[in-house]
Amino acid sequence: MSVAEKTGTAEKTGPAEKAPAPAREPRITDEHGRRVRVWELALRYLLLLAVLVLTVGPFLWQLSTSLKGPTEDIFSSPPKFLPADPTLHNYERVSETIPVWDYALNSLKVATANVVTNCVGSALAGYALARLRYRGRRAATLVFILAMLVPVEGIIIAQFTTMRELGLNNTLVGVLLPGCVSALNVLLMRNAFLNLPHEIEEAAYVDGANVWQRFWRIALPSVKGTLAVVAIFAFMGAWDDFLWPLIVLSDPSRFTLTIGLNYLHGTFANDERLVAAGTIIAVAPLIVLFACLQRYFFRGVGEGAVKG
Amino acid sequence: MASPTASGTRRVRRQLPTSPWLFAAPGLLITGAFILYPFVSTLVNAFTDRRTLVPGEFVGLANFRELLHDDMFWTGLRNSTLYVLGVVPALVLLPLLLALLVQKNIPGITFFRSAFYTPVVASIVVVGLIWVWLLDERGLVNSLLETVGASPVGFLSDQWLILLSAMAVTVWKGLGYYMIIYLAALANVPRELHEAAAVDGAGALRRFLTVTVPAVRSTMVLVAALSSVAAFKVFSEVYLMAGPSGGPAGEDTTLVMLVQRTGTGLTGRVGYASAISVVVFVVTVALMLLVLRADRKEES
Amino acid sequence: MPIPRRTFAVAAVAALVLPLSACGSSGGDGGSTDASGKVEGEITFQTWNLRANFKPYFEDLIAAFEEKYPDTHVKWVDQPGEGYADKISADAAGGTLPDVVNVSPDLVAPLAKAGLALDLDKAAGQYEKEYLEGAWASHQVPGMEGTYAFPWYLNTGPLFYNKSLFEKAGLDADKPPTTYDELFDTALRLAEKTDGEVATLANVPTIEDFGRYGVPLMNKEGTAFSFNDAKGVELLTRYKELYEAGALDSQALTATPESSGKKFLTGAVAMNPGSALDLANFKKQAPSLYKNIGITDQITSTGHVNMYVMGVMVNAQSERKPAAVAFAHFVTNSAHQMSFAKQVAIFPSTAGSLDDPYFTREDGTDETRVRVAAAKSLKTAVNYTPVLFSEQMKTELRNAVAKALQGKESPKEALDNAVKACDRLLTQQG
Repeated sequence: MSVAEKTGTAEKTGPAEKAPAPAREPRITDEHGRRVRVWELALRYLLLLAVLVLTVGPFLWQLSTSLKGPTEDIFSSPPKFLPADPTLHNYERVSETIPVWDYALNSLKVATANVVTNCVGSALAGYALARLRYRGRRAATLVFILAMLVPVEGIIIAQFTTMRELGLNNTLVGVLLPGCVSALNVLLMRNAFLNLPHEIEEAAYVDGANVWQRFWRIALPSVKGTLAVVAIFAFMGAWDDFLWPLIVLSDPSRFTLTIGLNYLHGTFANDERLVAAGTIIAVAPLIVLFACLQRYFFRGVGEGAVKG
Repeated sequence: MASPTASGTRRVRRQLPTSPWLFAAPGLLITGAFILYPFVSTLVNAFTDRRTLVPGEFVGLANFRELLHDDMFWTGLRNSTLYVLGVVPALVLLPLLLALLVQKNIPGITFFRSAFYTPVVASIVVVGLIWVWLLDERGLVNSLLETVGASPVGFLSDQWLILLSAMAVTVWKGLGYYMIIYLAALANVPRELHEAAAVDGAGALRRFLTVTVPAVRSTMVLVAALSSVAAFKVFSEVYLMAGPSGGPAGEDTTLVMLVQRTGTGLTGRVGYASAISVVVFVVTVALMLLVLRADRKEES
Repeated sequence: MPIPRRTFAVAAVAALVLPLSACGSSGGDGGSTDASGKVEGEITFQTWNLRANFKPYFEDLIAAFEEKYPDTHVKWVDQPGEGYADKISADAAGGTLPDVVNVSPDLVAPLAKAGLALDLDKAAGQYEKEYLEGAWASHQVPGMEGTYAFPWYLNTGPLFYNKSLFEKAGLDADKPPTTYDELFDTALRLAEKTDGEVATLANVPTIEDFGRYGVPLMNKEGTAFSFNDAKGVELLTRYKELYEAGALDSQALTATPESSGKKFLTGAVAMNPGSALDLANFKKQAPSLYKNIGITDQITSTGHVNMYVMGVMVNAQSERKPAAVAFAHFVTNSAHQMSFAKQVAIFPSTAGSLDDPYFTREDGTDETRVRVAAAKSLKTAVNYTPVLFSEQMKTELRNAVAKALQGKESPKEALDNAVKACDRLLTQQG
């Protein structure tokens, strides 16, 4: 996290540092390189901290539970926040109880594949919906909108039957397929392409670039921000899904992490510390991924600045 | 979804005739085969008395007629509608403010951005467990209230407070999600606009209303559309806060909870649940049209 | 304790043991029931959330079976606790059900009706005498002839109470209630003495509570419910008094077995039903509570305590029926149930096993005391929850009970409506 943070900051404050003023103390600047007033800065941090407490507070509590040792009362009332005797033992026990690395690897395979297929599939489809003209474009858009509205709770058994007919039940491909180009992502990409000024492509068009070239060299680089959003959503969706992988997979060696972690809820006894440790294991990779990708959400301005 | 601006596409015209379909093909194929095709079977089932392990026969509109007399269906419709009304305004506005708050590059901001995103990535089951614990009669929130002298609030025992608590969790979990959609959109707001406004001496609120909001308007419409559809289809948050039977006497049941309760398991009434699914689908289509219509009106 | 109860509660629905012999005859005839022939081939065995903690046990078990029948190969899959019914539904609908499946009585009933569960009376009737009578009968379905799963492990348990809360209210912590009347009196006293601060029970009555109170749950033919009789109304009226006095936890209307377990662990409620498994759990999760734990017998008006049953079913469409039946029997035979019971605090359903010194001799610890008492009560225990009582029916009952407690409907009205709704669901399930 800290590496991303450093590069992110360095990149953004770059112009300010190059400014002639040889100020010694670090200057705090906004995204436009202007100096930020102290009281405004203080207010910002105050707000940020307030939201921070609200958003991560509950997880810190979970983290704290996962670090509590076996002699500690975790159901005391009022609850105790800090573990009296922090230990990583619960994490060790998770890996002793279930083959957590195998499950994580399966999840990683599905999630990575899901990112690739969603980025490629929805960028292509989004581009077709937003920038190309052809008969049936509105109908194609409608297909994706309707698909987004389908209540998935009702179709899961029908999806399973389809998978079985394709012989893909009990495979990771079967887990991947239904969500591999999600309608929501297609519509997000469409929205991003729609917001691009048309002049950008026009120049290339005049230069004789064909549609693939325009898409690949000009349109796509301009929507990296949204592409990063799609990547995050795709990874997260595949990583967190429980019911569908459970239905499709039978063989425990192919289970994904969410299914595997459910084993920590024992049949005969529930160990809250173990469950809490499992929770943290499931969330941590996603937070790291987000920290790595989040720079791209801000790229738009710089890269989209081809505008004429 | 945002109203297309047709003006520009007109000129980008000549291309290989098949290529648009090639572009859209992977998406259309997957969506068609794994979402729409299974949904067709739901549509068909809605007119049968099919059960999980019993094929069922055609019963015409009987399921829909039964719906009209099913109190639980109306409770579900009421709750799902209330959910949209309660959650959507908050999810259109708050994440935008949050995005503005984290947009500026001040030291440590990467940490804050990532931290604000944690609720989104955590699985809803975990989130539910944590909040149930916090909002319990003897949970943290109530102990805090007690220290300031208030009497404990039954967040998880009163039917309306349960619904409100669930909405709060939905907003809490959705903040980071919509925040990044807004961040991506904000990045496209040309800085010249802000600078010009700042030079004009416009205050923060005015700059927000005259520069930011118009610039991210299409994204706000997108967020409104996405969040209202999601809100109407709410399941997990209410299920976890209200329990599997949907709160006291089932008063917190939402439509999708009803689909799940009636239609799943080995004794599920698949036909009847499909009929409810169809209603959910029709209402979300209507919601979508409503949002787009409102958008178009505002534009003109 | 929360979890075993939850898992079982999701699962548990078994026959009203007594009237079963009176079932009518109809019965779907699913596939051939012929299980004679050579025990050979590859079969799949599915358990319900047992791999994480009992992997070596099952691996040894399978190795022993494969050694006994060298031409067989057993593939073991284990499913997590959550979503088990969904998983089985998809497999049953898609024709991918494993050969041998760990089930509970409520899962067996619809599978049997759909012709997916093998009738063991026909295919393996010779083994019937090896099991406790009540346990064998728990996988029979009213309206059908036959028995559709081997009984596997059983569970039951005492009522736990929090001694320090009893003392706080000026009650004698060594004299816990032993009858329903005493239970209700204690609850009202506790609520009164603590100004409604301490509730006694965390959950509203479920179908098994009605059964234990002596309410007839279904007619003999298994075609209609009857828990709206005078006795049922009486029980609900008593609970209503408790609710109004604050003797029932304020979140009882939305409670799950899991949440009520937590309520007990935090000392918010004074009593909670549990099992032998809970003791270890209390020790681990809430050491300070453990010191104050009191243990008393499950309260029942019928003389029979409630028990939960797990079973092992053979897929009627299995292509390796002889091997599947042999393996299902192998898993549930008395030697293997006995060794499983020694791994975790559950009880074998095989005849005579409960007379083993392991279940009769006390050594002064709480664990053995609970174990011996439970084993003794199991000999006459009943799985009160009717096999045909589906998840949907549980919700109907639960919501009707809530309406009565809230005063929206009278107890009689609420139960009448619930019976009507459950009867309708019964016919719709087909």
